[in-house]
Amino acid sequence: MTTAVSIEKTTAVPSPRGPRGLVWTLLRVHRSALWFWGMAVVIGVGALLWAYGPGADAAWAEFRQMGCDSGRPGLGCDLAGPAGGRYDTVVTVAAGFLGLLPFLTAAWAGGALIGRELEDGTAQLAWTQSVTPARWLAAKLAVPAALLASGTLLLTLLHRTVYSADGSLRTALGSPEWFRTNTFEANGTLATAYALLGLAVGVLAGLLHRRALPALGTAVVGLAVVASVIDSLRPHLWPVETLVDKHEYPEYTGMVLGDGALTSTGARVPDPICVDDAKCLAEHDIVGFYRDYHPSSHFWPLQLMETAVVLAVAAVAVLIAFGLLKRRTGAAV
Amino acid sequence: MTETAMEAAALGKTFGRRRRKDALDGCAFRLPAGSVCALVGPNGAGKSTLLSLAAGLQKPTDGTLTVLGHAPAAVRERLAYVAQDKPLHPQLTVDDTLRYGRELNPGRWDDRVAERIVDEGDLDRDARVRTLSGGQRTRVALALALGKRPELLLLDEPMADLDPLARHQLMATLMADAAEHGTTVVMSSHVVAELDGACDHLLLLGAGRVRLAGPLDDLLAAHRLVTGRADTSLDPHTVIESRTTGRQLTALVRPEGPLGDGWQSTAPTLEELVLAHLRAPQAPALSLDDRREAAV
Amino acid sequence: MSTAIPALGGLNRTVLRVHRTALVFWVLAVTAAAAALIWMYVIGDEARGGIAACVSPPRDGGPSCAEIGSITADERYTDGIRVVTELIAYLMFPIAAWAGGVLVGRELESGTARLAWTQSVTPARWLATRLAVPAVLITAGISVLVALILLARGDGDPGLVGHWYQSEAFVSTGPTAVGHALAGLSLGALCGLLLGRALPAAGLSFAACLVLYNGLDRVREHLWPTATHTATDARTFQLPREALAVEWTYQGDRIVGATYHPPSHFRPIQYVETGILLALAAAATLAAFAVLRRRTP
Repeated sequence: MTTAVSIEKTTAVPSPRGPRGLVWTLLRVHRSALWFWGMAVVIGVGALLWAYGPGADAAWAEFRQMGCDSGRPGLGCDLAGPAGGRYDTVVTVAAGFLGLLPFLTAAWAGGALIGRELEDGTAQLAWTQSVTPARWLAAKLAVPAALLASGTLLLTLLHRTVYSADGSLRTALGSPEWFRTNTFEANGTLATAYALLGLAVGVLAGLLHRRALPALGTAVVGLAVVASVIDSLRPHLWPVETLVDKHEYPEYTGMVLGDGALTSTGARVPDPICVDDAKCLAEHDIVGFYRDYHPSSHFWPLQLMETAVVLAVAAVAVLIAFGLLKRRTGAAV
Repeated sequence: MTETAMEAAALGKTFGRRRRKDALDGCAFRLPAGSVCALVGPNGAGKSTLLSLAAGLQKPTDGTLTVLGHAPAAVRERLAYVAQDKPLHPQLTVDDTLRYGRELNPGRWDDRVAERIVDEGDLDRDARVRTLSGGQRTRVALALALGKRPELLLLDEPMADLDPLARHQLMATLMADAAEHGTTVVMSSHVVAELDGACDHLLLLGAGRVRLAGPLDDLLAAHRLVTGRADTSLDPHTVIESRTTGRQLTALVRPEGPLGDGWQSTAPTLEELVLAHLRAPQAPALSLDDRREAAV
Repeated sequence: MSTAIPALGGLNRTVLRVHRTALVFWVLAVTAAAAALIWMYVIGDEARGGIAACVSPPRDGGPSCAEIGSITADERYTDGIRVVTELIAYLMFPIAAWAGGVLVGRELESGTARLAWTQSVTPARWLATRLAVPAVLITAGISVLVALILLARGDGDPGLVGHWYQSEAFVSTGPTAVGHALAGLSLGALCGLLLGRALPAAGLSFAACLVLYNGLDRVREHLWPTATHTATDARTFQLPREALAVEWTYQGDRIVGATYHPPSHFRPIQYVETGILLALAAAATLAAFAVLRRRTP
């Protein structure tokens, strides 16, 4: 070939340490987001460690001082004192941050990670720097996903530790039960799965709009819709347990999905609200009451089923994103 | 016989599904390796579309475009592209931007070339790209393009943001570099004067179609600027554009044989050739690519 | 070109034209929410009828009041009210992100603001229109929604629509809803002007609103003097219905009194909070103008 350019072995001095190539460019270009995430994880770890140690101790001491552990019901024990309030706030804010994280991720991924780069042409700049669009997108997904997953898993592990250690204190403070959305997600694999879903939805929105701000809006709204649909599926992802009692409602326990009255044929009917009126019960042919619920032992089956659903949806979004990119650029691989 | 740097056959690109708009339509041309090609045409003629297709950023709707013997997407390492608005990451410093090129072009990157272009512009290497002027950005973008030692360099309106001095200097650097390494350059512009003297090939687009294509000297030689009496017929020559002033007629023609006695004729300049074709969009196309004669 | 459009009218039209997507989105959102609320109003009586009897604490096989929603009440009503309540309460977040990102940040970043300033529009008037037109539309839309939600909530039965002092319910049922949204708008504009770039401005506006919303949620109970209730018999001490307890008084380990907010404090707290929010909106707007003046000749 007459045009073969003689490629001199170039002067590129390999940097001694740290990431190279596409990973380096990704970390450098999105340095502020990296800083934000690093700070958030550090603060979150610090706050949860505090809650685990001194925070819980102080709240417990205060609780005892108020005489609330005497077993005697007192209205004042419904409201936490200052130390209990601090403890509760820290744990609630940590779980709340993990709940907000998927939306922040989606907004960032749609806006800054993908949308802005397609809008101002820097994505195309990368594609003409020996990086195929598919590799570019793969890096944009893999690097943030790795950082998100490791940070979120660390936070959920700590949250779990705090949650399982302070059971009695939480009951005393009236903190959320295991199945409340934020707590449920922050105690298992779901916080991580939803953060990854946020990333996937954001990336897809960015590729669809090719503009930063519309992509940001679509990513957040789209994630809200998808998450609320999955959220409404949650109780149905594992068979419920049913308690039946002849005379009254079975004891309140765990995540209740529904209850009502049973007739002699075993049919479930709405409660006619007879309240011990035998005649009324007979009239309606009520022979007992039932309650469908998930006991706390269903935590992991529910958690893992929903994680699988969330990750499957994220995978579909990623596949669509790659398909879209391929159709646009005609890029082979 | 030289190698082919870029070749298009029946190339078409359509935007929009509902309101279809043809950016390129049935384009065919061939560009030999090592040539410096001026890509000329009015706004909206399809210049940017053609360059971004050649850079492997978009997929053609019809036909094929091969670059360095392959589909553009397969030879990303061997081509460089500077888009019209010189996209760069605004939050990176000049040094970081050069490192960006180095990290993404392992084994190809030449720091000396990139640094020379940046340093000629007296740029602060620690300045963020956000703070640079338009001309300085152009310089950094060109450094990023040349640093990867491309075999084909695609430049979309590269000099638009530069002052005349910088333009002259950068053009000289570019041409020297291209000559030294045998780089093929395709450079779009609507300032024809900017290209004169630098280019040896011409590709004139109008409304998405090829109007003129071929070696610049051959194209100029195929046209004559003639002056004569207005009542003299120019048959059988192809008249691109003619103007009558009183009884005198001036025309750009493609002679189909010897011109008659009544005509004074001179060779047109590049600018005259281009302007005449731009003013006469209905004039027949002419392709002097050696392999593909008047394929349009 | 049409003749003699009054100057400000022309500018208003420009804002509406440029931000047509946002306008369409807003109109659709308000219409959808209003339609949902009218529907809730229609099924409201039925839902209230369904929760007539409950026992607290649960005994005798009767349904407990705490879970009554899952037994007899019409879940459509409860869910519908909850969704619209949260929508109104959280409106300040998208409004602030939009104002910071799209309305101001992007225009400064891309230079279209400068384009406007060279079209015989002074920067101050540019900003004034940019804030006034959305402010009017936001105020109008939210006022309609608040009026409708009050109608749909009927007697505001806490078993169906939540307690009056719960954050989202409180914010979405009075003038403070407008206050929150306007504070979001002006904070967004200020962030946009300070940063001059779309995405960082959207992020900062969102963060500022997060702080403001949660800060107000914390101080809300201190915005109005509390009422005091003292027990005549400590054993049967009970606060009035729907009271928000603030602080308990002990005698030994026994409660003998409490300070609290009765539901009648809803209005004064609303007004004080709205006042704070409007003052904040005004301050942010003034600051935005000051920043603009310093930046431009």
